[in-house]
Amino acid sequence: MSAAPPPIAQSVIAFNDVSKFYGEVLGVNKINLTIPPGITSLVGPNGSGKTTLMNLMTGLLQPSRGTIEVCGMSTNDPETFFRAVGYCTQFDSYPKGFTGFEFVYSFLRLFGWDHAESEQRAWKAIERVNLVEAAKRKVAGYSKGMRQRIRLAQSISHDPRVLILDEPLNGLDPLVRAETIGLFREFASEGRHVLISSHVLHEVDIISDQVILMSNGYVVAEGQIKGVRDEIEEHPIQVLIRCNKPQMLASKIFESEHVVEAKVHVDGGGLLVKTRNAGEFYLMMNRIATMNGIEVETVAPVDDDVQSLYEYLIGGDEGGSK
Amino acid sequence: MAVYKRTYKGYEGALTPEWSRFLILPRYAWASLFKQRFLLILYVVCFFYPIGCAVFLYLNANLGALASLIPGSSTMKGLDVGGTFFNIFTATQGSLAFILTSFIGPGLISPDLANNALPLYFCRPFSRTEYVLGKLGVVAILLSSITWIPGLLLFLMQWSLADAKWFEQNSWLAWSIFLGNIIWILLISLLALAISAWVRWKVIAGSALLLIFFLGTGLSAAINAVLRTAKGEWIDIGANINRVWAELFRLKLGDGDMISVEEAWVSLFCTLALCLWLLWKKIRAYEVVR
Repeated sequence: MSAAPPPIAQSVIAFNDVSKFYGEVLGVNKINLTIPPGITSLVGPNGSGKTTLMNLMTGLLQPSRGTIEVCGMSTNDPETFFRAVGYCTQFDSYPKGFTGFEFVYSFLRLFGWDHAESEQRAWKAIERVNLVEAAKRKVAGYSKGMRQRIRLAQSISHDPRVLILDEPLNGLDPLVRAETIGLFREFASEGRHVLISSHVLHEVDIISDQVILMSNGYVVAEGQIKGVRDEIEEHPIQVLIRCNKPQMLASKIFESEHVVEAKVHVDGGGLLVKTRNAGEFYLMMNRIATMNGIEVETVAPVDDDVQSLYEYLIGGDEGGSK
Repeated sequence: MAVYKRTYKGYEGALTPEWSRFLILPRYAWASLFKQRFLLILYVVCFFYPIGCAVFLYLNANLGALASLIPGSSTMKGLDVGGTFFNIFTATQGSLAFILTSFIGPGLISPDLANNALPLYFCRPFSRTEYVLGKLGVVAILLSSITWIPGLLLFLMQWSLADAKWFEQNSWLAWSIFLGNIIWILLISLLALAISAWVRWKVIAGSALLLIFFLGTGLSAAINAVLRTAKGEWIDIGANINRVWAELFRLKLGDGDMISVEEAWVSLFCTLALCLWLLWKKIRAYEVVR
């Protein structure tokens, strides 16, 4: 018989009206968030407050106002709190002169494990990031990707319940990147939290269960990507349709009051439709296609991804890494 | 939307005691320090004087046996071992401790700051206090091994060699040896750590430690000469520690102008407090950007 699920408060990361100021400089302001388990991506331009939010979550910063609870724990109980949180920083951060193994092992000792337990955990973590062969070499001699991986190893080595990763995919080659994403999924599949900040928006799209969009210290949007997209009413959802009679389809779809624009492709093999209600549009389009003998080859939303959310809600060129 | 099983279970096994975790930092630091041959030699040299003292105490206590070996030395009389002997011991080993600290101390915190390593320490169940204690331990434990520990061993040796009357008259020396050395160790260790936290270049940090002492002495002398006072000694750490040692080892000092022993204690405690404040300002997970 499986154990009863934990109460909601013990399974979410909750920000209650949290603000952080560095003197007079705003870090984040009035953040109210409830982050469920799974993979959550933090997206926003440089200086939007992503790293501040992560530092608050990891207890490295104390909020100027408000409270933060990570799975029912707070930084008032550091012995429990820090054991549950793993943090992979954005910058090269390791003590001078350490080998990869020493780096992971020595920080495990700070958790209070004995030599044998720490050694076993260190090797396990290093193995998970595929760095066993280089583990006895000095970190200073590692490539950027290897440093990224050893940092990841130290953040997962104590088997945390909440994994917070600042730009964890930077500098990784495609193969390692895929393996790392697999590792995140494995963590999330056990009901843990994986929080990632990333500039690579198409990867955010692929790996995230939910996103948090930030700008100028404020949370602009949060939730599942599709759900967030549906709520952006000033930008109708764009749907690409490839079919054999695009002109006919275009003439019929304006029966729906939600359709605001339809453009037939130059090649005459499809059209682009803008609608304020995608769900209703799909139903209507099916009906029209059936009644008029239109053969629909493809129907695909064009702008319900993170890149579009970023452009609509934040704007600018920061999200151009798609 | 992905559906996740909640199969995660945290570690529930045994842990080392919380209080002992700061000792992990010295363990790694020593391993790294003693890879440098120069420091290893310097550390070994620091034991020459205590060994010499031990030989002296032994010979001093066995002058009768020595006299029988040397013709015409039957009138040799042993020297008194007391406050003066242990004050000289403390001052000599204190100087060596200072030299050792000027090489070790500056490299303790600055590399962590330069390599952004502090967030790694503080996102674990490890506080800023434990971090400072750990770094302090690197120097303080090492310096203890060349100062008060051999000092107390010499005291015990003298106790075992001398008659019971000697212990009755000189038992207070044990406390003086311990306190006199501990205050000095704390002072130079915390100064070195504070400098290491604020000065990122190791060579400059090492020089700054020397400069604080020499500049303090020079400035103190200048203030005393210009203002015709003794209050300049407030900033002379060397003079203050000598004043405190003299008091602890019950030595008579000259009649010249000098600050009182209470003022010397206050001056030393102010220096310690300043070092702690400087460390507290700098040892943070993240630097505050203004």
